[in-house]
Amino acid sequence: MDAYRAAGVRLYALSYDEPDALADYAEAHDTTFTLLSDPDSEVITSFGILNTLIPPDDHPWYGLPFPGSYVIDADGIVVAKFFEHNFAIRSGPEQLLAAALGQEFEVPAPGGSEPADRVSVDVRIDGDRLPMGVTRQIVATFRVPQGQHLYGEPVPDGLVAAAIELDDNDGILSYEPVTPPTGSLTLSGSGDTLAVYEGDVVLRLPVAQNARNMQKDDDGRFVTISGQVRWQACDDVECFLPESMPFSFRVEAGFPVLGDMGPGVGRVPAMNGAQHFQRLIDRRAGTEPRDEDQ
Amino acid sequence: MGIELDTRGGPTGGPYYEDFEGFNMPEPPGHGSRRIPRGDFPTGPEVGTRLPDIVATDQAGRLVDVHADRAGQPAVVVFYRSAVW
Repeated sequence: MDAYRAAGVRLYALSYDEPDALADYAEAHDTTFTLLSDPDSEVITSFGILNTLIPPDDHPWYGLPFPGSYVIDADGIVVAKFFEHNFAIRSGPEQLLAAALGQEFEVPAPGGSEPADRVSVDVRIDGDRLPMGVTRQIVATFRVPQGQHLYGEPVPDGLVAAAIELDDNDGILSYEPVTPPTGSLTLSGSGDTLAVYEGDVVLRLPVAQNARNMQKDDDGRFVTISGQVRWQACDDVECFLPESMPFSFRVEAGFPVLGDMGPGVGRVPAMNGAQHFQRLIDRRAGTEPRDEDQ
Repeated sequence: MGIELDTRGGPTGGPYYEDFEGFNMPEPPGHGSRRIPRGDFPTGPEVGTRLPDIVATDQAGRLVDVHADRAGQPAVVVFYRSAVW
């Protein structure tokens, strides 16, 4: 949240919960962003994203949206949206913030030691944890010297497009890479048109952990994400040899806080989850609240 | 709109659910099965259009109009299942 505040980006999270359930949640988790209550799913329906695969008589679940996120600019225009088929996966906060700020934001200051006539690359993982069900991004920043370019997909045989590749690992899933638009370059010889990146380029590869296939470190709390960045630089005259740079990140493999039904003993703060859930069922089933449970 | 339920995935024993691409993760007890769409499903307003108005009550009981409340700042709006479960 500090990163959002520092960047001047507001965060709103809407669900079909009652305001008092949100109040309990906010208190239990010290929530500082805005939780919005849509108990009759009016906003969800007006957006056209009500999950119609859930029948209306399925009381606790009816009214849910297809889950996802919108990123809007200062004028309120949608600049990006994130919806996944598998609801168990959602986009991480860094990914949403990056979309709100645009690609330029992540380009770091030039490194001092690298000669300016070669491409230099910086690879990072956005965030220090990979909790189940939340994506993080591998972010590769290429600094491309004046007069040179990199290739984007698709590339003809014999050339290498700039890309982030993960090592073979069942425990890590990757998603559609986020890439800036390419320019086009027409070769004078063959007349082929190539997709090229000029200037600094930031590529992002969203990744998530694949729960059971995950190979964690011996104590079970960390996961290693490894792979390599590939690229090939060319100038107007010639292409240089393809290059690659391996990366390996060891991050905490946390679990997200799931629904809190318990009395709040231990790690999970209290928010009277079971009581709110009972009320949600009663309300949808059209039955009177059961006083003896209060 | 013809949205189809994705029935290709399923429980794999224990508390796990595995989808058709082989992604698996625990399915907490009591959650019921996930109603995941197969193929295209509606994702609301398109990129490049203005986000429709959202007026809803927040955790403090205050009525919030998102476009007014963000006061000219960019924003992220998340639709999720529930804070309760």
